[in-house]
Amino acid sequence: MTDKKSSGLHWFSPTVMRPGLALAAVGVFSLGALQWSVHAQAPAAKDINPPVANCNVTPDTIPDPADPNKRIANPIVAGFLTSGQPCQQVVNTKGLVSDPLGNLQRGFDFYSWLTFIALNSPADGKTVIGQGPRPGGDATTRWESLANYRQLADVMLDKGVQPTWGERIVPDACKALDGPNKMIVKLGEAAWNQPFKTGPLIDQNGNYAVFDILMNQPMFDFIDQKGLYSKQGQERFDSDVVFPLGNNPNASNSTPGRMGAVMIKVSWRVLDPEKDKALMAKFHTVDALIYFPGPPATKTGPTCVAKTLGLIGFHVGHKTLFAEQWAWTTFEHVANAPDEEQVAKKTLQPPYSFYNPGCPTCPVNQTPPDPWDPPASLKFPTNDKSQVVRVKMLPDPVLQEVADLNRQFRALLKGTVWENYMLLATQWPSDHASKTDCNGSPAPTFLANTTLETYSQGRVPLASSSCMACHGNATTQHVPATPSDFTFILEKAQCENGNCGAPAAGKRPAQALRCGLAGQQH
Amino acid sequence: MTDVTRRKIFGAAAGSLAGAAAAPVAAQPAPRDPADVDLFVKLSAALTGIAETKLAPAADPVKVKNDYYDQAKSDPGFAGLMQIIRADPSNPAAAADKVVNNADAKIKFLGRSIILAWYLGAWYPPVVLQQPAPNSPIPPLKVISSAAYTQAWAYRVAQAHPMGYSELRFGYWSDEPLRLTDFVA
Repeated sequence: MTDKKSSGLHWFSPTVMRPGLALAAVGVFSLGALQWSVHAQAPAAKDINPPVANCNVTPDTIPDPADPNKRIANPIVAGFLTSGQPCQQVVNTKGLVSDPLGNLQRGFDFYSWLTFIALNSPADGKTVIGQGPRPGGDATTRWESLANYRQLADVMLDKGVQPTWGERIVPDACKALDGPNKMIVKLGEAAWNQPFKTGPLIDQNGNYAVFDILMNQPMFDFIDQKGLYSKQGQERFDSDVVFPLGNNPNASNSTPGRMGAVMIKVSWRVLDPEKDKALMAKFHTVDALIYFPGPPATKTGPTCVAKTLGLIGFHVGHKTLFAEQWAWTTFEHVANAPDEEQVAKKTLQPPYSFYNPGCPTCPVNQTPPDPWDPPASLKFPTNDKSQVVRVKMLPDPVLQEVADLNRQFRALLKGTVWENYMLLATQWPSDHASKTDCNGSPAPTFLANTTLETYSQGRVPLASSSCMACHGNATTQHVPATPSDFTFILEKAQCENGNCGAPAAGKRPAQALRCGLAGQQH
Repeated sequence: MTDVTRRKIFGAAAGSLAGAAAAPVAAQPAPRDPADVDLFVKLSAALTGIAETKLAPAADPVKVKNDYYDQAKSDPGFAGLMQIIRADPSNPAAAADKVVNNADAKIKFLGRSIILAWYLGAWYPPVVLQQPAPNSPIPPLKVISSAAYTQAWAYRVAQAHPMGYSELRFGYWSDEPLRLTDFVA
């Protein structure tokens, strides 16, 4: 059942109509009137977070017809494959279990599946996910279309040049190899090294895994309008960095839905179209041109190589109303690696991309020996291969709830490449308005993807992977540094004209993103 | 009455926390009765003076209460302590008073250990509290869990955070300190 109307479900926030929301509504309409009245005098500023007509507001639970005081699971049906992208989560403290946290978690995880389906639907905007022309019904996805998302390397340009939305940049070294639907992946350290420089991930064929980061247009436009695409631009920006929020439409006060900032991080493994032919219908693939820009970004290059890449990991960060610390979704391919229990109980289901069942004594989740810089072949120079095991990081109820959702959504996608992807969980702020925990008390406390946080799996505070605890430390290149609203993207900005010079000492904004972010709106 | 006792214990033990070694949480904790855990939190709120909803929020991803409950449950005085709150769950303040003034030393000092657990995240065995060495800090047996280290209320009461773990934004050290009520109210 898909309910496209504003659901009326209450959020977990103690106050449903927060001051920030009310102010936002006023702001929307006063801005509209202002634009109309001054139209003849000056061009209106572009709305970086424009209204969205079709926010997906499908809830994970619905009232029980037999007992209005209870809620039952919203049946997961084929209509969800075309229901669109959520602008915000629809969650409820009441649900299938007695623990409010568990019901909220399920709502966020349900949102993550809807988001995954919407973003990975074909880019043409018409074809249903899994019905594309390639093996396994695969197709170029919406997030791979320049109309919808932009790669980080095409935003933070050399010499701090202002980027242009929708413009495809083909490096000279790649031009001879270029063709339709080729995705260009520009290598920098972040494209092969894991967070905190903990090392590369090497598959069982000895190839490097490759990572990429993308953003949607509201996030791009914010960076563009504020001049944050260059280091000097960030130094000149003496305000808080506050990316726009997504929100559902609210019929009671005529607030339109808005998507807000969305960023994606993906991980890929190299596939050989001949040797790995049997795998091609099990992975979402892309024909990529891997660009090595040369020093200082890569030791190799400038050069460009053509590779077929298979999707192995998929992070989504979405900043939304009541989740100003962003909601963090992570999916991965089911054949990346076994989990600890499968290893212990010897219930392995090989083959795995990053685990050799024939080597039970291989040390697990260890970084390969350095040097780590990838050669143009993307083959690791020694015989070392990653032996990855998925560490148990989530409480049992969350694992069970996610497994149940995965079973149902993967059944919907049966027979397509997309049935081979599973949600790991969604991390969200359980106390988004906290003044003393700027990360909003993340739930679950820890979360990792075996391909994107391979070496920081675990349950040790600060040492183990937590999306929000990590991204909460991100800063701009402003002097002194200021919080960058949970994204490391701004760290990639380069110096204007290649001339960094001495940083101009700026001031720290008076309210530099202190806790209790509720109400921040754009 | 409970407040004075709490301060005395707190002062005696505060200097010893930093040297305690973190101990891992048991991999397979014994099954817990949720109703029993709720009663434990109710009693803990009365013992510590910190609101029940602060000790264990409705949406609580950390659930440090489980670590403390498991630790306390392993003590021989636990059954007697819980019997007191079970007898009248509607009056936790009275139950706390009965605990800290109990004639049975096992119960009395377990109550103090629970207070210390919430404030310091560390476990001070009741038998050690019962016979402290004169004029010297009481050493804790262990930090109860990694979560306990990050959640210890002493830091919040002091408007601070544990060493190596802060939930505030980059550069917070140059801002005006947050008010005490932001932490504990």
